[in-house]
Amino acid sequence: MGSRASTLLREEEIEEIKKETGFSHSQITRLYSRFTSLDKGENGTLSREDFQRIPELAINPLGDRIINAFFPEGEDQVNFRGFMRTLAHFRPIEDNEKNKNPTASEPLNSRTNKLLFAFHLYDLDRDDKISRDELLQVLRMMVGVNISDEQLGSIADRTIQEADTNGDNSISFNEFIKVLEKVDVEQKMSIRFLH
Amino acid sequence: MGHYVVLWCVSAFHRTGHVCRGDSTTHRKAFPVLSFNYDHVKTPFEISLWILLALLMKLGFHIIPRVSSIVLESCLLIVVGLLIGGIIKAIKQTAPVLDSKLFFLYLLPPIILDAGYFLPIRPFTENMGTILVFAVVGTLWNAAFIGGMMYGVCQIEGAQLGHVDLLSCLLFGAIISAVDPVAVLAVFEEIHINELLYILVFGESLLNDAVTVVLYHLFEEFSHAGIVTVGDAFLGVVCFFVVSLGGVMVGTIYGILGAFTSRFTSHTRVIEPLFVFLYSYMAYLSAEVFHLSGIMSLIACGVTMRPYVEANISHKSYTTIKYFLKMWSSVSETLIFIFLGVSTVAGPHAWNWTFVIFTVILCLVSRVLGVMGLTYIINKFRIVKLTKKDQFIVAYGGLRGAIAFSLGFLLTNNEMKNMFLTAIITVIFFTVFVQGMTIRPLVELLAVKKKEESKTSINEEIHTQFLDHLLTGIEDICGHYGHHHWKDKYDAYVKRWLIVGERSTEPQLISFYNKMEMKQAMMLVESGSAAKLPTLMSAATLHRRAIPSISKSREEEIRKILRANLQKTRQKLYSYRRHDLVMDPFEDNVSEIRFRRQRAEMEKRVSSNTVIEFVNISSVEVQEISKCLCDCTW
Repeated sequence: MGSRASTLLREEEIEEIKKETGFSHSQITRLYSRFTSLDKGENGTLSREDFQRIPELAINPLGDRIINAFFPEGEDQVNFRGFMRTLAHFRPIEDNEKNKNPTASEPLNSRTNKLLFAFHLYDLDRDDKISRDELLQVLRMMVGVNISDEQLGSIADRTIQEADTNGDNSISFNEFIKVLEKVDVEQKMSIRFLH
Repeated sequence: MGHYVVLWCVSAFHRTGHVCRGDSTTHRKAFPVLSFNYDHVKTPFEISLWILLALLMKLGFHIIPRVSSIVLESCLLIVVGLLIGGIIKAIKQTAPVLDSKLFFLYLLPPIILDAGYFLPIRPFTENMGTILVFAVVGTLWNAAFIGGMMYGVCQIEGAQLGHVDLLSCLLFGAIISAVDPVAVLAVFEEIHINELLYILVFGESLLNDAVTVVLYHLFEEFSHAGIVTVGDAFLGVVCFFVVSLGGVMVGTIYGILGAFTSRFTSHTRVIEPLFVFLYSYMAYLSAEVFHLSGIMSLIACGVTMRPYVEANISHKSYTTIKYFLKMWSSVSETLIFIFLGVSTVAGPHAWNWTFVIFTVILCLVSRVLGVMGLTYIINKFRIVKLTKKDQFIVAYGGLRGAIAFSLGFLLTNNEMKNMFLTAIITVIFFTVFVQGMTIRPLVELLAVKKKEESKTSINEEIHTQFLDHLLTGIEDICGHYGHHHWKDKYDAYVKRWLIVGERSTEPQLISFYNKMEMKQAMMLVESGSAAKLPTLMSAATLHRRAIPSISKSREEEIRKILRANLQKTRQKLYSYRRHDLVMDPFEDNVSEIRFRRQRAEMEKRVSSNTVIEFVNISSVEVQEISKCLCDCTW
């Protein structure tokens, strides 16, 4: 128990996380126990190997990218705050939040931020555009090995053609938002975190 | 040899002579050239006449545009039914009534199958919890409220309703409480409401069938038995689960059988649609045998069968299924409404002001209270909450229809039956006419979100799948077994068995993309316009700027994609067999000429276009592409 004492969650931390992410007390404690169960090294942070140990994630086509999304630029460890910050994107949007103070910064789980999270999964080099190559990489991951490069290329071309409005042969964030305007992102990118 | 002939002739003459002599007093009948024998074809003739009449009416409504924009089609059909009923009554014939057997066995299944087969699965499963709560709890609440309050009303002195006991009231409540899928479809189809509301009301109307069946049989048994024990009530609850889950199970079994059968139909494409129809109908009938919920069985069958059947059958069979289902359900719906009108005029009525008026008021009140109360509870569990507007539409869209009438018709004949029937008809008329007609202006007034008429783009497809994978991953990280987790597992195991050959391993994205390309290629061939061609060209020219040699390989890949998908059909054109779909030889010549002309036009248009983009594509390449497009004929 001694080594774990330093990793126990303090009340102030819970309050801070609550303010930053909007999760409720019980949700934070529940996710904390999940965090600790994943943290085999018991040092209060998760490494990439900890994530890769989850079996279902290994067969997920986007597994690696999702794992990367948790780690901030260049770092190899993520603490509980970072873990919660990433998961906050998937919190369902609540009605009362829509009427909140307009001057306050946008909550992490707003529609735009959800889409931005997804956009960054495509856009690895962070140049704010999904280029043809980046799109091809994602398509290749989702589609498997049976499809030829040319066929995948045509699909990528067509996708960019449909979305591209300013003719730069890549998809910017605004174009990305536009093509997904008919998709119910609020529901699709939300997980019901049981209270 | 000769004697026999002579003998035979003589005996023949003898016979006729005999006849002549016998009938010499009566006039010998002339050979009838034209005779009238109506009884022989009476039944099919009348059925066809009714159907033809119904369809002509439907045609008539759409030719007069002003009428169809104000009044609902179902209202007009009921009015027509009333008129016909009136005419038949005037000439003192017996009108065909909306017989329950006819309704439940022949008229209802096509509509339900059509709805179930084309049910939008994603919104349905995402809102399953809400739909179930509305269907089960909502219907129970309605039945209890209406039944109980009506009993209270019946106790009022001076209403002359003292003879109606509690169980009969509850039975009446059970019949009138269920939202009717036929009426909902007929009304909601014309107002183009957004998908969420449509699926909520429609899903509820489908799933409440189980509740209705159980309640109906339960109260009917009780009203004969006279005494209700707690054990009976408990059995009722058990019965409900058996009826609903049993119905779904029967439907799923037939659905899997249908999917499995479609795996082997690649050589007999002509009968493919029949498998879909027959398996579904058998599912319905089998469920009805055991008094399980036939509607739920039919829906389960259609939903289960659809993804696998569509992956296996040919494009033509798919079109056939779609059109036959739409056709049959359209005819059924028309007939139902007309017969409703006819039965109203024909049936024995027992009008009781108190009973009828209170029924109508209570139906409305219980519906509104039920929806509001349930939404309050449901919103605690929903991600996307239901707004007041949504609640209003759900409450207002709770229409009653022919199912209630038919169930009422099935009641045993007693003095209350006629009164019940009259009340049921009044409620149906009220909901269809008043609610049905006013819902459209109300939808406009409240600015409820309408359905977006647009085809899915490939962007949406890709990104939706991307988000699915993302969500599955995040759910796994959280250790949360949600929607996506189970869907993934199911897909992985089941697809292998039910989809033919290599199509089971083909990712959904690729089949979607192929379908889009095929559609576009077909459009190109049919219209012969070069308007679409530029999009393929401009992408190639874009590549030209980056990598010069791509255009040839691009053309190669277009050809490969098209050939891979359209190759199968070429083999069918060469041998004649009765049970195969073959192109008409005359048609062949005509279309050949048409294609040659189109190709020439296309070339002309492309070469004369002075836009810079086309300069880089030689006419040879254009010819090659247009040739391979034209080569593949449907």
